[in-house]
Formats: sequence, C-alpha cells, structure tokens
Amino acid sequence: MDKDIADFALSYAQGKKADYAEIRAHTEKQEGLVMKNGILDAYFVAVDDGFCVRILADGGIGFASTNKWTKDEARAIVDMAYKFAKTSKRKEKISFAEEKSVKANWKAEEKEKISDVSSETRIETMAELDKDLNAHGVNVPSRMLQMGSTLSEKFFINTEGSMISSYVPRLFVFGYITVVENGKPEQTYKQFGYSGGWEALDHWKLEEQMINETKVLQRVIKEAKAVKPGKMDVLCGSEVAGIAAHESCGHPMEADRILGREMSQAGRSFIYPGGPFWLGTRIGSEVVTVVDDPTVKNSYGYYEYDDEGIKARRRYLYKKGIINEFLHNRETAAKLKTRSNGSSRAINYDREAIVRMANTFVEPGDFTEEEILEGIKEGLYMKSFTEWNIDDKRFNQRYVGREAYWIENGELKHPVARPIIETTTKVFWSAVDAVSKKVEYHAGTCGKSDPMQGVPAYMGGPLVRLREVFVK
Amino acid sequence: MSETLAKTEAIVKKGKALGADEVVARTTLGRYRQTRFSNNEVDITVAWNDYVTDVAMSWQKRFVVTQIHDFQNVDETMKRLYQLVKASKENPMYGGVAKGEFQYAKSKADKAVEHLDQADYVLEAIEAARKEAGPDLNAGGIMFSKLEDVYLVSSEGPMGEDQRSAVELSIRAFSQREASGHGVECSSTIKGFSAARPGQKAGELARMAKNPKDGVEGRYDVIFDPLITGSLLAMWGGMTSAFQVMVQLSVFVNKLGQKVTSDIVTMRDVPASYAMTNRVFDDEGVSVKENVLIDKGVLKTYLHNTSTAKIFKTETTGNAGLPYPGPWNIELDAGDMSKDEMLRNTKRGLYLTNTWYTRFQNYATGDFSTIPRDGMFLIEDGEVKQSWKDVRISDNALRMLNNIAGISKERQHVHWWGEADPPSLSPYVLIKDVQITRPK
Repeated sequence: MDKDIADFALSYAQGKKADYAEIRAHTEKQEGLVMKNGILDAYFVAVDDGFCVRILADGGIGFASTNKWTKDEARAIVDMAYKFAKTSKRKEKISFAEEKSVKANWKAEEKEKISDVSSETRIETMAELDKDLNAHGVNVPSRMLQMGSTLSEKFFINTEGSMISSYVPRLFVFGYITVVENGKPEQTYKQFGYSGGWEALDHWKLEEQMINETKVLQRVIKEAKAVKPGKMDVLCGSEVAGIAAHESCGHPMEADRILGREMSQAGRSFIYPGGPFWLGTRIGSEVVTVVDDPTVKNSYGYYEYDDEGIKARRRYLYKKGIINEFLHNRETAAKLKTRSNGSSRAINYDREAIVRMANTFVEPGDFTEEEILEGIKEGLYMKSFTEWNIDDKRFNQRYVGREAYWIENGELKHPVARPIIETTTKVFWSAVDAVSKKVEYHAGTCGKSDPMQGVPAYMGGPLVRLREVFVK
Repeated sequence: MSETLAKTEAIVKKGKALGADEVVARTTLGRYRQTRFSNNEVDITVAWNDYVTDVAMSWQKRFVVTQIHDFQNVDETMKRLYQLVKASKENPMYGGVAKGEFQYAKSKADKAVEHLDQADYVLEAIEAARKEAGPDLNAGGIMFSKLEDVYLVSSEGPMGEDQRSAVELSIRAFSQREASGHGVECSSTIKGFSAARPGQKAGELARMAKNPKDGVEGRYDVIFDPLITGSLLAMWGGMTSAFQVMVQLSVFVNKLGQKVTSDIVTMRDVPASYAMTNRVFDDEGVSVKENVLIDKGVLKTYLHNTSTAKIFKTETTGNAGLPYPGPWNIELDAGDMSKDEMLRNTKRGLYLTNTWYTRFQNYATGDFSTIPRDGMFLIEDGEVKQSWKDVRISDNALRMLNNIAGISKERQHVHWWGEADPPSLSPYVLIKDVQITRPK
C-alpha cells in the first residue's frame, strides 16, 4: 500500500467538480490450504493490494479501481470514475447523508499473531484434525478441510477530511464431510470464523465440534425417524435461530434492498415504502428482538468503522417484535432522510461498498434452557440445519434439520430425519413465545451484490421456542 | 515475444532456478466495466483494472499457488513460494501439469466491448421492457463487459497468448410488486448484441406475471425457460468436475458409463467462440476442446486437469483451473420440439422462467431445493392460465435429470449472476413430475 499515491488520487479528485470523492486502499495478505482426505491438495499465499476511487458528481456515482500503484494510474481511475458519475444520465439525483469527518486508527485484538504461525503449523493442525475425524469409529470416507487467513489493512480518506486506518486479521476453517453408514451417505459442513489471532483455535474446539458432527450424522442414519407432518411446537437451536435472524430479519432490513437497488440480483424486501410492513409495524411476538452488531469483539464480522468511515454501533432491527431500524449506508440514509448507521462494507478494494450485515443475532431472553425445553409437551428440537433457502423478498423460507430430536414431556427422545420448516417470516417470528439466556454465534459468509461479495459474518442466538408451526 | 509474455516467462524461469520441479504462470491484464441500474436509473458505473499473475509451483509432489500483482516483488514472492513448497506436504496423488507444446486456435476477442457507452444500452433495454409492460414498469440489472489479455508460460512446454472478451446485459423488470420477468443477453462480442431483446423478454414476462396467485403444492410437468435451465446446467455441469466428484459434492460419483439421465439428453462442455468464457487454452496451457459429458443419457467423462486425469487413469479434458478443473460453457443439445409445441402439448403443468438460492441437503444423493422467481405460470390445456408466486422446487437432481422429457430446438446463451454460472447454451426443457412445495 502506498498512502502517498492514495493521497495523490484524492488531491487529483479534488480538482474535479465533484460533490464528493473518497479513496479506499486495501492490502490483504491471504494464506490458505485445502486438505482432501488427509492429503494437502494445495497451499495458497498472496498479497492483494490496490485502491479505488468513488466519486459523486451531478447526482451520479462513478467508481474505478486498480492494483497498479502509480500516479498515472491514479489519474486514470479518477478520470474514469468522474466521467462515469457525470454521464450516469440520472433524473433523480443521488446524495449522501451528512456525516462529520473522522480521524481514527483502529485494529482488531490479536493475541497470537497469525503472521507468526508457520505454514507447517497450519498444515499440521488440519492434518491432525483429519486424522482425528478418521479415527473414532465413524466411517467418514470424504473429508475436505480448508483453513485460511486474511490480514486486512485499509486506509480510507475522503474530501470531507476523514482519514481512517485499520487492521483486521481473520482466521477461518471450513469442513465438508460425508459420513456413510449401512451404505447410506449423509453430509454436513461447518464453518468457523474469527477476527483476531491464532487463539481462535482455543475458542473453536475444532476437533470436538467436528467429531461430534460425524457422530450426529451416524446417529441420524442409524436411528432417525421421519416426523409426522403437522403443526407442533419447535425449539430452534442457536444455529437455526441465527440463520433465521440473518435471512428473514437482517436481509429484508437492508435499506438498499428496501429501495430496490438490489432488485435484479439479491432481490427486494417484503418491507417497502407504502407496503404493509414498515418501521413501527409488528413482524414478530413481544419476545423477539433481533440485532446486528459489528462491534462484537473478535466476531467474524467485526469492525469499528464501516467502509464509508462511519462509526459502527449495535442496530436494533426487530425490537420486541416491531420493525425498528434499517441497515443504512450514506446513500440509502439520505434517501430515507435519516443517518447512516455504519453498514457499508466492501470485500475488497475493487468492489463498491454496499449495505451489509455484520453479526446478526436474536437477543437473549429470560428462560433457562431447562425451562424452555420443559415447556414443550410434544414437539421438535431442530438444533442445526442442512439445506436452507429464502425467496428474494425474504418472506418464504425453508430450513431442513441436520441434527434434530423429538421432544416428549420436555425431554429429548430419538433423532428426527431431516424435518422441514417451510414457512413465512411473519409466521416464524410471530410463533416465538420464549427465548433462552445464552447466545451462541456461528460463522458464515454472507453473499450479495454483483459481482458477488462474500463478507464474513456471524449469525446466532439463544434457544428460541416456536408454538404451533407446521413441520413436515 | 511480447513484453508481458517475457515478464511472465521470467517468473517461470525464476521458479525453476530456485529449484522448483514445475512452474506455471498466467498473467491476466483485465479491464472490467459494469453499469448497475435499478428503478429505471443508473446507480453506479464501475471499472476495475486488474494486473495479476497467477503462479503454480510444484516440488516433489507438493503443490502451491500464489498471485503477483503488476509484476511487483517478483523475486521476493517466488522465494517465499519456493520456501513454502518445500515446507509443504507431499500429495502422493499429485500427477503434475501438462507437458509438451500445443497449437492454439486464434483468439477472436472483440476489443470494442471495452469502450461501450453502457448507460445507453441500459436505457434501451429499459425502454424495450416498458414497451411490453407499460410506463409504470420498474427495471434493474447490470451491463457488464470484460476484456482480458492472457499470457501463459509453463516450465513444461506450453506457452501462449489469448485475448478474451465478454459482454452481458441482465435486466429484471417489475410490472407490479410481485410480478416480474428477467431477460439476459450474453456474448463474447458486441456484434449482433441486442439490448432490446432481454428488455423485451423481461417486459413480456412481467406483463404475463401480473396479479399472481398463491401456487399449489404437488407434482407438475414443468417447462423450464432457457434462463432457469442455465441454472440447472450450471449445477449439473459443475458436478462433472473431477474435484467435486472426489470430494463427493456430486451426484455423478462412481457413475461413469452409467445412465444418469433420460435418453434424449446430450450435454457437452464447449468453450466456443460465442461463449462469455471463450478461451483457447486452459490454466495449464492445454488447448481447450469440446467434451461430451453425457451422451444420450450415459455419463461419458468427468472434467479433468492433468493431475485428476492421472488419478482417474485418463487424459486431461483441457479444463484445468488453478488448481481445480471445471466446466467452461455447458451446452445441452437441441431437441426436436419447438417451445410452442412443448407448451401446446402440456395438459397441466408449469412454465418457470428463473430461480435462485439452490441449496442441497446432500450432494451425493442429490436432494435439494431452489426458489423460482420472476414469471411462473400454470399451464392448462396448452395455454398459460395463471400467474403464480411463492413456490419452491423441492426435488432430487438425479431424478430430475432422468425425468427430462422434452428439449426445444431453440437455444440461448445465458449467464446470470452466480445462479446461472458458468454460462451455458440452454434450450427450453420439459421435466416430468417435478415436486413443488410452498410455505405454510
């Protein structure tokens, strides 16, 4: 990263008749490996390093990026972005919500520096995990393990005087395994993510969690019974609560979707101006509060300032069952006459920053886990999910249980084979009558935009109890 | 030799001088342009210039890859890569990269795609959609162009230059809040490219989709539009990658030589000159070629690089990526029906035009679901009777392949976002007894 070139690009942009310009430089050291059935397939190292300019002029936006750090290239991309903005041919002019300039320097806490961890140690860690997965009495014929890290350094400056430097190291592990029992295969994947250092491994307990997954799948094949379709009480584990929070609360609350900017790709939202759902409308029961919070320390989606230089904070999306606050960047905030709440993220220097979630989860309630289970006479505990999806207005969704159990008189009984909840956002959140005290997070990669930008995110929650939902 | 090819060769020589067994370097000078639009207006125009060299190195059956940007820090990066490969772990299954010299076809890239006034194309597409569905229509989408100069040098012999171009316009049009249609125009060249065509298609479907009713669960004969067929082909084609087979992310595991679809299906991978992914060599420098994946229902081959080919005791199919093989452009052979005949012959069924969010419970068995979007229609007695909404295909990938009962003569080159990717040459396809579900 050459900050002088970034400064030069901004100075050059200031010479244009632009309403606003920003430069975002991003250097990312990447390292990763793929291990297939205990054999190291490939090891990858790279440094991705470049900068972009975004210009607002005459109500249009232009964006250009490069990984060539020269003044000529800086001029070229500024000229290009300016020209794009000026020739957008918009009738309705774009503006950005007003914000104060910021000078800041922040970084994620990293106890054991990832850069100090040798490739041998990384390979050995995954090899050990693979060995353990293959040596505990469960037939796991296919094991694909990935480990990767990114050391992400950003430098942001704009024509309003902001200057923000940041550093976030991230570590992730992804495991995809196939268990075969009596000739029948079951598959699962697990993702682990952390902003911080190598100490992530102490938090994850990879071996314990992955081995448990193989045992769960083996038990599903051997013992699981189909559920009799019908309405029943359902207890969702933190993983299921988390994916529901992400898909049917976080996504529909993204203001760019609400305003139609993603209409052709990720879609729109069941929430829209003049529609039946808006700020202040009830979408869930009184006990449902879903938040998105980038500031959770060491979370996979952690950041202190977003990619427009706005201070991050917790956003209460659904509050006590009411649609409360959308996720905004400066463009959507201006359009809806509010302020940005720091939701603008880009995965790389060559991508436009757009409205994104960070860590989306159901806030804890008052129940102990025992109390919440005791309250179910007959029903289903869906601890985790396999297949899932949701429509592009974020209303019609489906979760298929991976680890699930039948509940009788508050006690877990036999495993249930792939139970399915296929319902709507309104039905799901309205059916919640109890939420437990302890939140657990799960790492994921949230996809959106064109070209696709997969951003690191957490999703999670406590145990969430739903009354009388249809299961098949 | 061009300056860029010489610089790329220097990287390879550096790696060999350090002691590597094999080094392959591929430099891509890419100029990408994209205009995003929504609510009938341009939201942003984006350009990204990328100067990158992908480098793969092997040493004693250890395999590592890296990227060098704009030829910066070559010595340092290659030394680091060599240290890494020595510290890496042996892969006994590693079979090396392609050896020898290859004759490449002449590149047919269209340089004109780089300097298009994309906003004009976008506005033309919106206007075409409006003509179909009325002035209140609300449209969004992208216009994208790519021009890449590609230089490849392998220590094992292959060396070549290629230029790759592509242009795409994707438009989704809403006539009502829940009534939409989607059209795409995809090509390697601007010659013959029409912005109005996808606009017209999106507008027509949006008009037909007005006042949708809740869909009804059940099993239906379904006519798939080329765009949604493109999503299915991407899914099935991706599963022929030898890598996906080896990690069991495929329904085609252990099925070579077996019948996997109905007899009328012949599916190929064809990196043709019309395709958005056109190229003359793969990432090892092997000349690309047409590969028949499924011949009249029988699975003929997986897609390979040199290394996976050795594992499967066959030859590379010219589908090497760095590091894994995959399809370039999937073609489903044309059938003998017209779209209209297909429609007329359907007593009770559905016509689906697009989908998204395809997810599997189990890739090995093929159980999955996907959510149709944009125009979805109930057909009765050969005519579109009703527009539907809020349904899901919840079925099995192999079962659907075996239930293909009709393929149209008409085909379209389609690509859309991550859903119909890689691109394909897609016909209308009739699949019997597709399970449709809906929320409760």
